[in-house]
Amino acid sequence: MLEVGAVSRFTGRFFREAFRSRFEWRELVRQAYLNGYLSLPLVAITAFIMGLVLTIQSRPTLAEFGAETMLPAMVSISVVREIGPVITALICAGRIGSSMGAELGSMKVTEQIDAMEVSGTNPFKYLVVTRVWSTILMLPLLVVLADAIAIWACYIGVNMKGTVSWSLFQQQVFDSLVFNDVAPALIKSVFFGLAIGVVGCYKGFTTEKGTEGVGRAAHSAVVLASLLIFILDLLAVQVTEILGLN
Amino acid sequence: MGTNAAFESDAPPAVGIGTEEVIVVRDLWKAFGANKVLQGFDLTVRRGENVMVLGKSGSGKSVLIKCIVGLLRPDKGSITVLGEDALALDNDALDRLRVKIGFLFQSSALYDSMTVRENLEFPLRRHWIAQEGSDSETLVKEALENVGLMSAIDMYPSELSGGMRRRIGLARTLILKPEIVLYDEPTTGLDPITGKEIVELILRLQKKYGTSSVIISHDLNVAKLAANRIAVLYEGRNHAEGSYDELRAMTDPKVKQFFIFM
Repeated sequence: MLEVGAVSRFTGRFFREAFRSRFEWRELVRQAYLNGYLSLPLVAITAFIMGLVLTIQSRPTLAEFGAETMLPAMVSISVVREIGPVITALICAGRIGSSMGAELGSMKVTEQIDAMEVSGTNPFKYLVVTRVWSTILMLPLLVVLADAIAIWACYIGVNMKGTVSWSLFQQQVFDSLVFNDVAPALIKSVFFGLAIGVVGCYKGFTTEKGTEGVGRAAHSAVVLASLLIFILDLLAVQVTEILGLN
Repeated sequence: MGTNAAFESDAPPAVGIGTEEVIVVRDLWKAFGANKVLQGFDLTVRRGENVMVLGKSGSGKSVLIKCIVGLLRPDKGSITVLGEDALALDNDALDRLRVKIGFLFQSSALYDSMTVRENLEFPLRRHWIAQEGSDSETLVKEALENVGLMSAIDMYPSELSGGMRRRIGLARTLILKPEIVLYDEPTTGLDPITGKEIVELILRLQKKYGTSSVIISHDLNVAKLAANRIAVLYEGRNHAEGSYDELRAMTDPKVKQFFIFM
């Protein structure tokens, strides 16, 4: 409970500092590159495998009901609404959350954060605000990319045991997807990005007890961020249900 | 101890010390739980003066300078730096004051994801001091020439030795031309020769830029070479004060214990 309170206060401080000048644009772009662009290969490979496996494993069940033609629609809705955002967020929690926890933790125990503060630079603004903004901005983009790659992998999967043209496949996919599938998924990915950034930075920023603490910060950043992603996903489902968006 | 041969020069002359008090610490108290680290410590530093705070490891020396620069908030007492009440300043005002105070960390605290050049440019990018005919590249090169490490400009901190890191840390500390510099154990962990080089560098740069200094150390060789005045911190309070020679002549066992190897 104490940790929940501390993370909440840390999040509150992020929102207070996030809209105050001066903005560290250069560091924000660097973090967007590190956390977004460099995550592309991992996200792309995972999304491809995810789309392909989902297609191959769903085919027998749909074939049993004579509904094989529903395969593109079923996979695309599953990917866009749920699997794409959650899997991408979990991958980013592992890759980005642990790196933030370890990097900031290491800076904390070697007094680099103190050095930044005594040089008249606000370390929270320079280190935390830029990192959290980068995950908030990059995660929805990574989710869109993961969705697109997973759907393309589905096309390959569909054609492994049959022949469907790209244009027919596209038509089936776009006919099945509506605004209410895409928008809530992208909105929740923004919150996933916030959770990954805040937890990674919080764990790093509050590291204690030397190198042992750095390892613990990296590890617990991944665990806590992953847990938060599932909790936020559950909340998102409840909210879309209440709003009649399902 | 075998280190004395490397430290043969005397304390710096007290010329150039002004009457203006640049740091005034009064009745400073700081505790961490039940551990009372500072218990009413007082300190005054005048312009151009090198004051050394001498104390055993864990006696609260680093806590004192961290309070002065605002990294720690004392439980009680007052701190005035360059005429400003450091404890009453808001964050922006404190950041402005910090630009006038340099801080050399014991670990050097170089940003290890940046090259030496980027480490030195970091404070410059944020607090650009307009100097006629100077750009950031010129100031970085001047700072590196001051510490004799021009060749390390594109190296990362992990590629530097302990002494080189300390020199680069000093260059980064002085690049904004602070009025006051706080040194946290500047020679700890260095061999006697490198330690002496660092102290000589500190004195040379102090003379060049006219800074006032607080030097935190338990190393009497540093006191002998660099300090105009030494304050002994014992059990969180001022125990004794004077020049190196005055302290050495004292019969007080708590002061004498520092000279056991001298």
